[in-house]
Formats: sequence, structure tokens, C-alpha cells
Amino acid sequence: MSPDFWIVITGILVAVNCGLLGVFLVLRKSAMVGDAISHAVLPGIVIAYLLTDSRSSIWMMLGAAVFGIITTFFIEFLHRKARVQSDASIGVTFTWLFAIGVILVSLFSGNVDIDQECVLYGDIAYVPFDLFFLGENSLGPAPVWMGSINMLVIALVVALGYRGLFLTSFDTGYASSIGLNTGAWNYLLMGAVSLTVVLSFNSVGAILVVAFLVVPPATAYLISKRLETMIASTVVLGTLSAVGGYLLADLWSASISASMAVFSGIFFALVFGYSLVGKKLRKRVHLSES
Amino acid sequence: MLKHIVFLGLILMGCQAADPKPEKVKIVCTTGMIGDALANVVDTTVQVVSLMGPGTDPHLFKPTKSSLDHLSSADIIVANGLHLEGRMQDILEKIGRTKPVIFLGEGIEEQFLLYGDEAKQIPDPHLWFDVELWVNGLDYVVEALNKESISTPGYASYKDDLNNLDTWVGEEISGVSEENRVLLTAHDAFAYFGEAYGIEVIGLQGISTVAEYGIRDVTNMVDLIEAQGIKAVFVESSISSRSIEAVVAGAQKRNIDVSIGGTLYSDALGPRGSGAESYIGMVQHNVNTIVNALR
Repeated sequence: MSPDFWIVITGILVAVNCGLLGVFLVLRKSAMVGDAISHAVLPGIVIAYLLTDSRSSIWMMLGAAVFGIITTFFIEFLHRKARVQSDASIGVTFTWLFAIGVILVSLFSGNVDIDQECVLYGDIAYVPFDLFFLGENSLGPAPVWMGSINMLVIALVVALGYRGLFLTSFDTGYASSIGLNTGAWNYLLMGAVSLTVVLSFNSVGAILVVAFLVVPPATAYLISKRLETMIASTVVLGTLSAVGGYLLADLWSASISASMAVFSGIFFALVFGYSLVGKKLRKRVHLSES
Repeated sequence: MLKHIVFLGLILMGCQAADPKPEKVKIVCTTGMIGDALANVVDTTVQVVSLMGPGTDPHLFKPTKSSLDHLSSADIIVANGLHLEGRMQDILEKIGRTKPVIFLGEGIEEQFLLYGDEAKQIPDPHLWFDVELWVNGLDYVVEALNKESISTPGYASYKDDLNNLDTWVGEEISGVSEENRVLLTAHDAFAYFGEAYGIEVIGLQGISTVAEYGIRDVTNMVDLIEAQGIKAVFVESSISSRSIEAVVAGAQKRNIDVSIGGTLYSDALGPRGSGAESYIGMVQHNVNTIVNALR
């Protein structure tokens, strides 16, 4: 299988995984939670290094995953118990955790190169080489396997929890009035987000994950406010961004993840422009009718 | 959707078909220092490519589509190792299961390695400024290349050049009076250099580029500059110069006479035309800068 094929497949997997969860995050106004996690995992990485004396990616990922979950739970906790707005609780949480990480680095490991850039974030360009070996046989790239398993889990969470996620995203007041445990649904979603984000950081790097978590769902929100349509358009937009971004990177011989992120931004601009023009046209039709 | 898949399929097939020049053996190197050395020693049947250009911080290297193509079309890959390449190291080790990947750092005997963190035995990867050690590493790489039946006709004379360079650096540095032999920079990339040529190296920041310098670090540095009467501090080409500027500003506030001695090339070769675009040129530039400022 050609390396290009695996890269595009990984791009699509990450786009769909992040997009499915991103739809709910955008609706809950906590879209930047992915960016928050990208910073807040630093203490997890340093602690994992101090405990294991190693910088191999499996330990780094474990440490990061634990702190990813701590981050999202802390954000939820501040938001619900301290009644801080969700953007402010995201800001408080991740700056605090990141700062703790910086202090840990300077106290314990200032002379070793350790930070998420150099021990956690992968790059999508490396996917074809990041093979999963069983004995002597390679079974294809590890990120494709991880992304596929991740996709199954997310599909299960979304399919089984559709009603709960739907109600708690659109109308928290109504959801709790009919007896849904909104807290539990939030923690379920946030747990899935933190695991997906950390796993994807390791496969493709930070910028692409944050972009796919926010941009295709935000574009889909411009297209429709119906959840099914949003989910479907997010999947299509994410897939097209992955394919288009790859072709763009090939053309310019540029960074592949950045090109994919740029492509998702282009789709946003197109849909936004179209919606502006559409509104004007509709107004004009409306005026001429009346 | 189907159209896109067909379109993509066509493009992918196109990519595979358009590669009809595999007559030259292709060696892909990570850093420019390794690439420069190998370009000097192999013959014309070998093509040498370096992935990291001038000014690149190897820990934070971001691959492009063409780095991917180079890695997949490489016959042999040569890397620094010892975790200099950051997250890429894992990938290189995996590539090592399907084609030869040589880590220069593996050729350095353990007794010569310096450790950033003694307790955890994590070696400092910035090997290249101790020229003699660098020659040891290159010996190992050249031997490994010969095993892969790559001939290295230029190595004997290049090694002579490097040995002369080593002597020259030693002479130049010993020309600086002993109390002035202090190299103050932002980042600890010069530990091996200091060890080899008898110059004290003080880094403001440590090896990791995120461990930001603290106010206390700056104050400590200024105290040190005052106590030891240090004349100049240095900035590095691949690291922001802000931290060093903060030190100089802090010292001047206390009426201590210290200047910025110049820019050293630390983690990457200089741009074309800078005189530091080759390894030898880079070492000469650094040593001249240091000696001129400290003498």
C-alpha cells in the first residue's frame, strides 16, 4: 500500500473521530477544549517521565491521557460547581495545569529535552513509517489501527447515547427537568474527547486535531442546526479536508497536517460566504415579493 | 464522493509511477552537520540529502511532504540519535526494521557521553562541537556505510581536515586567558565543546526549549557575570535571543560592562553564504566569534 494512501486514511479517521465529538462540543460552547488539552497534558508527560525514566511514546501517551481526563473533569467541575462560564473554566484549568508542567520541567528535568512537542506530538507525515509489528510481520501503520478502534468506540458512544447527548447539548434545562443526569453525560463526552485528542496528538500532531475538532463542526453549524445534518456534514467536510489537504501538500510540498487544517478553513470560508450571499438573495426575493 | 476516490486513486498511482531514477544510492540524513560530512566522503554514485535546513531546531522539526518522500525513497538513513530528533526518533527506529538506519550517537563510547540528568542517565545529544568526538561518531557511521557497500573515498582526507580543525580549535581557545574562558549562552548545546576545549559553559535555559528561564536564572547570571568579570554573552541561531538580551539588560542596569558577543550556530548549519553552511565553517565561525569576544 502506498504511503500516500495511509496518510489520507489517517487524516480521514482523525477528521471523523474529532468531528463527531466536535459537533457536541461546538453546541456546548466548549469547542476549545482540545486546545486546552494540548497544553494541559504537560504535567502528565513530565510525571510519566519521572516515574518511568523513559521518553518512549507509550508512557508519554499514558501520562497525557490521565491529564487529559483530569483537565476535562476539572473544566466540568469548575463550570458546574463554581458556576464559572465554560470558556473561563477552560482558560483557568489549562493555564494552571500547563504552568504546573513548566514548573515541573524546570525543577526536575530542565536538562532533558521534554515537552509535548518533542515527546508526544507525532506528525501525519510519519504515519506510513509508524508500522505496527506483530513478531516480524507488519500489519500496517499503528495510527490507522488506533484511529479505527477509536472510531468504533466513538460510534458506539454516539449511537447508544444519542438521545442523552442530544438533549444535554441543546437544552440543559429541559434535559435535567425530564430527569437526565446532565453531569454524567458531560463527563462521558469529555472522557471520550480527552482520550481521542491524546491518541490523535500522538498520531498526527496538535494543530490538525484542534482544527478538526472545531472547524468542520462549526462549518456544519452554518449549514444546519439539525443534529443529524450537522453530523453528516461534519463527516463529509472532514473527509474532503483530509483529501484536499493532502493534494495541496503534495502540490506545494508543504506540511501535510497544516495543509489539511487550511483546507478545512477554506470550506468554512466558502460556506460562510455562501450563507451571507444566500441571506442577501433571500432578503431581495422577500422584498420583491412583498 | 466516488469521484473523489477515483481521482485520489489516479493521483496515487501517478505518484508511484513517476519515480524512474533509482540508479543513485540515496542517503537521507536528519541534521545538516551529518549531511555535510557525508556529502564530503561519498563518491558520485551516492546522493546525500539532509532533512533539516538552516535554522531548524532538531527537537521541533516539522516534516513536509518532501521529507516524507525522502524518507520513503531513502536507501539508507543516518540520524544523530540520543533523542536529538525528538519524536522522530521512534519513527526512525521503526524504519530501521525495514531498511538500514544508522544512529551516529551509538558510535560514541559511553565514557565520553555527558549526561544532562545524571540520575536518569539520559545523554546530551549535542555531540558535534567536540570535533574529536564527532570524528568518533563519523568513524562509526562510515564503517556502517561500508558494511552496506557504500564506498567512502573522501573520508581519509575529510578526517584529516577535521583533525586539523580540532587542533586549531584547541589552540584558539587556549589563546584566551583562563579567567575569561566562560561561554554564556541561552541553551546548553555546548557542553561537549566546553568539556573538550576547557571552557566553562553556562546555559540559561537547559536542554529543553520549553523550560523557560526564570527571573532567578537571569539574576543568577547577572551575579555570575559580575563575580567572574565575564565580558560577553552569546545568542544562538536556532533559539530566541530574548533570554540573553534580558541578562545583558539586567547587567547594564547594575552598571556591569557586558556585551552580546555574537551569534553562534548551535543546532543547525547556517544559511548559504553565511560561511557556516558547512560543518567546518560552522565550527570556525563559532570559535572565531567566541575568541574575538572573550579575548
